[in-house]
Amino acid sequence: MVALAPLAVAFAVFVVALAAALILWWGVNPGRGRRQAIPERTPFTGGREPKVHAWNRYHARYYPMALVFLAFDMEMVFMYPWAVVFRSEGIIAMVEMAMFIVILLLGVLYAWRERAFEWA
Amino acid sequence: MGLRSRIARFASAGPVPVFAVAGSGMRTAVQDLRLQPDVCLVDTPRAAAILLIVGPTADADADALARLHDALPHPRATVAWQGDDGDLLPTLRATFRDLLQGLRASEPALLPDTDAVAWRDVGPYGQGGTGMTGGTPYGRPMAELGIDRDGLRLDVLPVTLGPFFPRLPAGLVLEMKLAGDVVTDVEVVASRYSVPPLAESASPFIRALSGPVPIAELELARARDHLRWLCDALIAQGMPALGRRALRLAHAVKSGEGHRVRAFAGRVRRSGVYRWSLPRGGGLPADRLTGQGLGPVARAAGLTEDVRLDDEAYLALGFAPYATDADGPSGWWQVRLEEAARSLDLAGRAAGRSTTIVGRVESPRGRLAPGDSPTQRALALIPDLVIGLEWGDAIATLVGLDLDLDEAAAVAPPQTLQATA
Repeated sequence: MVALAPLAVAFAVFVVALAAALILWWGVNPGRGRRQAIPERTPFTGGREPKVHAWNRYHARYYPMALVFLAFDMEMVFMYPWAVVFRSEGIIAMVEMAMFIVILLLGVLYAWRERAFEWA
Repeated sequence: MGLRSRIARFASAGPVPVFAVAGSGMRTAVQDLRLQPDVCLVDTPRAAAILLIVGPTADADADALARLHDALPHPRATVAWQGDDGDLLPTLRATFRDLLQGLRASEPALLPDTDAVAWRDVGPYGQGGTGMTGGTPYGRPMAELGIDRDGLRLDVLPVTLGPFFPRLPAGLVLEMKLAGDVVTDVEVVASRYSVPPLAESASPFIRALSGPVPIAELELARARDHLRWLCDALIAQGMPALGRRALRLAHAVKSGEGHRVRAFAGRVRRSGVYRWSLPRGGGLPADRLTGQGLGPVARAAGLTEDVRLDDEAYLALGFAPYATDADGPSGWWQVRLEEAARSLDLAGRAAGRSTTIVGRVESPRGRLAPGDSPTQRALALIPDLVIGLEWGDAIATLVGLDLDLDEAAAVAPPQTLQATA
């Protein structure tokens, strides 16, 4: 049971925080108890009524997304063995991983500039 | 004092979230509210507590205004302001405080609380329609099919922007079609002409159509207009703090202070907006713009069209238009900033000289003449500029055009003006 004590504390903090948030929301929200009217729920695009439903299918371009995901997911594969030897290697391992991450980050910045992260 | 009223008091001391609607001729008055720390101009009525209507609005927009009003969450209030009476800030502050503390009732809805289209109890299970692919979920038809940029047959979503879309001038309504976030079609369905500004408050560009105006005044107004546009454009790029600095500069600059604008242009360049945010290219070829008199947009395509070249007073001052071949929105930005700096230098040298031609003038947007405004001509180019762009680039392009319906209204023939309320 003692081993579970930290978990119990974390759970208690979660419950208290949730209760505090709910009490504040219930107590202070000036629109509480009021159902949102239809015009309040209409999407805002400048004052006109939408003509069609907003559900629509578009091409999400999974291929570049998959490439970027693969590149940056693979870095995690290198981090597992690194984490195992991190304590014995010390600051050297830290510096080497920092260099690795910085080089990857340059790739992210390049991909960003090339607009590879743009959706659809 | 209970917890609720304590928190309400605390909240009511913060900036007032306001959705502002600029009526005719009130664009600058609304923009100047950005310099008030007590006011937070928000981009959607869902984030506002107060709907602020500044100046007269057109009858044709009454429905849209009612929809805007009803889109505000409770508690909400509406404040009307004529743009010149000075007690707006205390009114906003008091209204916001009374709303939050329950001293003022929230305004009821103007529109009926019913669906625009009947959908409840529709479909085999009363779920509201016949499914997602091609049916009518929640009673609204689905988007039509079209070929997207990858050659796939997918949905094309029609979206109506305006008349109070915050990135466009009030009164402009665009009918867009989107495949994903790529604009596949756009049509200008309404560009409201509101009441023309009164003669005594008209801008120097309007006055220059009918008589000589001091060049110093005209060029100072041009520089300020460009800086005000820059404020809007920076906010559209997600840089509101830099936008407010541009607006403060627009208020502060004087004749002969081109160096201040050049220093600020360097600050804008270092923010990375040209390399990272603005669309690359995206302008029209020079032959498409020749003769259109579109001012900075034309000069960014390498054309040297400028009414000032026909004016002897300008030529005597050594005026030469600044043209570059940067093109596209980032070219328009650079041309406007350089022109603002040069205009201030020119205003410093003008020394009492006045314009010598009447009937046409180079406004900050291009060649302006009675019945012929650069905004009208730019509206016709919107489809060519915007179709094929992604959403963010399309909005950056529209903002970059610096459309001004008030200026168009001021020179429009009287029969095209609509009655206003």
